[in-house]
Amino acid sequence: MATEFHNLQELRHSASLANKVFLQRDYSEGTTCRFQTKFPSELESRIERTLFEDTVKTLNNYYAEAEKMGGQSYLEGCLACATAYLIFLCMETRYEKVLKKIGRYIQEQNEKIYAPRGLLITDPIERGMRVIEISIYEDRGSSGSCSGSSSTSGSSAR
Amino acid sequence: MPGFSSGGLGGEVGGPASSSPRRFHPSRYVPVSATTTFLVASTTHFFCFTCPWLSEHVSSVVPIYNAVVFLFTLANFCMATFMDPGVFPRAEEDEDKEDDFRAPLYKTVDIKGIQVRMKWCSSCRFYRPPRCSHCSVCDNCVEDFDHHCPWVNNCIGRRNYRHFFLFLLSLTIHIMGVFGFGLLYVLHHQHQLDRVHSAVTMATMCVAGLFFIPVAGLTGFHMVLVVRGRTTNEQVTGKFRGGVNPFTNGCLKNISHVLCSAQAPRYVGRWRGMQTAEVQPPFLRPPLSEAQLEAKVLDNGIQNDCHSTRSKSSLEQMESQSADAEPPPPPKPELRYPGLPRADTEESSLLSDGPPTPSMYKYRPAYSSPQMNHTALTHPNKMIRGDSLDSPSILQLSCQPSYRSEPSTLDGGSIIGVGVRRGGGERGEGPGGTSGMGFGVSGGISGYSLGGRSYTSYPSSLVLSTGGSLSSSMRSAHTHHNTLGTLQSEGTTDTSYKSLANQTPRNGSLSYDSLLTPSESPEFESAAHELSPQKPHAPTAFPPATTFSLPAPGVGDAPLQGYTSPFLSAQMAQQREGQLLQGSASFSSPHRAYLRAISPPLLTPPPHAAHPETPHLLHQDTRHPHLRASSSRPLPPVSEQPSPSSPCARSPDTPVSPPPRGPSLGQSLSYTREAGLQHKAWPMGGGGLSGGGGIGGTQAPQSTFRPGLANHSTSKPGGGVKKVTGVGGTTYEISV
Repeated sequence: MATEFHNLQELRHSASLANKVFLQRDYSEGTTCRFQTKFPSELESRIERTLFEDTVKTLNNYYAEAEKMGGQSYLEGCLACATAYLIFLCMETRYEKVLKKIGRYIQEQNEKIYAPRGLLITDPIERGMRVIEISIYEDRGSSGSCSGSSSTSGSSAR
Repeated sequence: MPGFSSGGLGGEVGGPASSSPRRFHPSRYVPVSATTTFLVASTTHFFCFTCPWLSEHVSSVVPIYNAVVFLFTLANFCMATFMDPGVFPRAEEDEDKEDDFRAPLYKTVDIKGIQVRMKWCSSCRFYRPPRCSHCSVCDNCVEDFDHHCPWVNNCIGRRNYRHFFLFLLSLTIHIMGVFGFGLLYVLHHQHQLDRVHSAVTMATMCVAGLFFIPVAGLTGFHMVLVVRGRTTNEQVTGKFRGGVNPFTNGCLKNISHVLCSAQAPRYVGRWRGMQTAEVQPPFLRPPLSEAQLEAKVLDNGIQNDCHSTRSKSSLEQMESQSADAEPPPPPKPELRYPGLPRADTEESSLLSDGPPTPSMYKYRPAYSSPQMNHTALTHPNKMIRGDSLDSPSILQLSCQPSYRSEPSTLDGGSIIGVGVRRGGGERGEGPGGTSGMGFGVSGGISGYSLGGRSYTSYPSSLVLSTGGSLSSSMRSAHTHHNTLGTLQSEGTTDTSYKSLANQTPRNGSLSYDSLLTPSESPEFESAAHELSPQKPHAPTAFPPATTFSLPAPGVGDAPLQGYTSPFLSAQMAQQREGQLLQGSASFSSPHRAYLRAISPPLLTPPPHAAHPETPHLLHQDTRHPHLRASSSRPLPPVSEQPSPSSPCARSPDTPVSPPPRGPSLGQSLSYTREAGLQHKAWPMGGGGLSGGGGIGGTQAPQSTFRPGLANHSTSKPGGGVKKVTGVGGTTYEISV
């Protein structure tokens, strides 16, 4: 937690929100949760295509796993019926567990890959699972003030 | 009275992001309170008065069984009442950066090969996902919206449909149990009917019996829905009446989806995880590829263009894949207009996104003909989404300035197999738009009643014609698409568009050049269509077959509207008039002989309106089989020209026989009318597009047309000034 010196030679660079890209849902297979893997043009110069596609494909896999109708979801339903749904007060549903996993994954991707490139992925659950929002930040150049929401999001993360 | 009057709290468990605070509506809680009261009170009475005797004299299992069923019913009732049905949070401001004026009301998306329309929700500020609907009572968009149930005072959507369905099932069973066991009690106490217990039991039976019929009916209805994989909303709006439901996976899978699927998460009222990733420059940048570097150099630094080109080409590939065998679309407009800002918003990145329309096309006012509503056309932009929530109108369709196409009429109604996208915006709207609108107005009326059918699993021009505005969007899509490669780009992704392309013969042959050549039949017809302003006659009786003839003329609009202003189009119309006149003049003699030669056989089909037809119609036979009848109509009495109108006038004013022939005939009529310089007949023939108009048109001009033709034939050598009515009703004088 070093004190920050605003040296004239060493002015702090700040990033500001320049644009947002929205990845839409891919409804080609019905209403199951899938996002389009089309690489948006705004990210052409910001991130490698493969990295981006990996992220989206992994997210799609997570969502498919969450919505899978398998033994676990069936058992959960039966248990809930048997306990008059009181079990929901104590237990977390499978979907919620996978959503937490997704949240952690997105956080990790942001830290490792996207933030160093000036991008931030917003968890789609906050948008009702309609879009994946990717915020694009621009380097505002050297400036003494921290502008934009991004740069103020916790220097503690460093 | 114990009761869940707390049910009156309402099913609103939504968080702050879902909706604005609303007023307290006590009337909304009456049904749910009544339900709760009846349910709990009746069951309590049953347990208190009937069950003791039953447990003694029948079995002790009976009360236990009834208790279990009752608890199950109550639990599902509470879940259905209090559970968030799947409310979408309002979209944030950033998602909707695009100007309201330019955004289309609908976006189409392809689900398992079927085009589904997503409507813009003006309250929630996003395009509603498939199966989502906005509940006006709750003022929320709900995922997989089934209906708003007043008895639980909550929307039934994705998350609580299972509970609602189980509530209905268990309530039915519970009612049957209560009624049955109560009957058993009463039958055994027939001599003690004056006792309190019997009276209460009988009262309970009455209540149970009274509610059994509607509850069982509703249960049966929902069982059918579950098996079919539909929602109540889809069922009552008739979305899948004639088509295929893209959301069904088969009977067993549908049932298991309802009963066994994972509990969906709620979207509102969640704990927001704090993002701790810090974004701080300097940023890593990916290495540019060779192509990108080259493109940058060539572009003179205009990077948008190469990016957009690349993304659009990839988009085009995706679209062409989904559109199967679409012919490659013409070169995209952004190539010609580099550097124009692209729409960078959520909506622009949807699958149905078209190429960025250069601003000159976005803001070009639609060409308006006298018949059309000028205000609608002169303020196209405002109508798109501003008040879109409950006022879809056909006018919006052709008023759209954006490059996306929109079938707009049917609100929440039809899912249509059309995902048409118009690349050129309103540029081509002019007569094409007006005609489309004219047709669309009437088509929309008929289309709405057939709304269910418009959900196409089969590509069908019937759907298109009854789809009202659909057809108009199709038409303009046609005009754009088939025009020479103009600005319209996009590969449309809708099957019905393809089907239309497959079914109607000509499209490719219609080029601007061909239109200028009078010897081509398609262009003859299309020119006729284009020159005659389309009246919004209601082709409500328009049989499907008519759609075959429609696009052909529609296509003709494109070349005129393609790059031209209304003024220019009128000029071109004038030029075309001249050319036709010259053309006809040039071959008047030899062709007249030709006409004479063939007219006798053509005259045999009797009491058709004797329409003077030019040689062009004869050529139609080879190209347009469906127009054969029209061309086979008794040719004028071209042979009778010397004795001008008498035979012709006497020729029956009988209705044009097959209505499908009407429009084409009417068009040709109007065109020849113009060619024949008989602008008196103009108003009649103007509405040549519609069947009714065609019929009327074919009839009306008969008397006037003959002399026209006669004049045409006789005055041709004389030269002079002819009055011709161009598009939009303006008259021009051309010298022959």
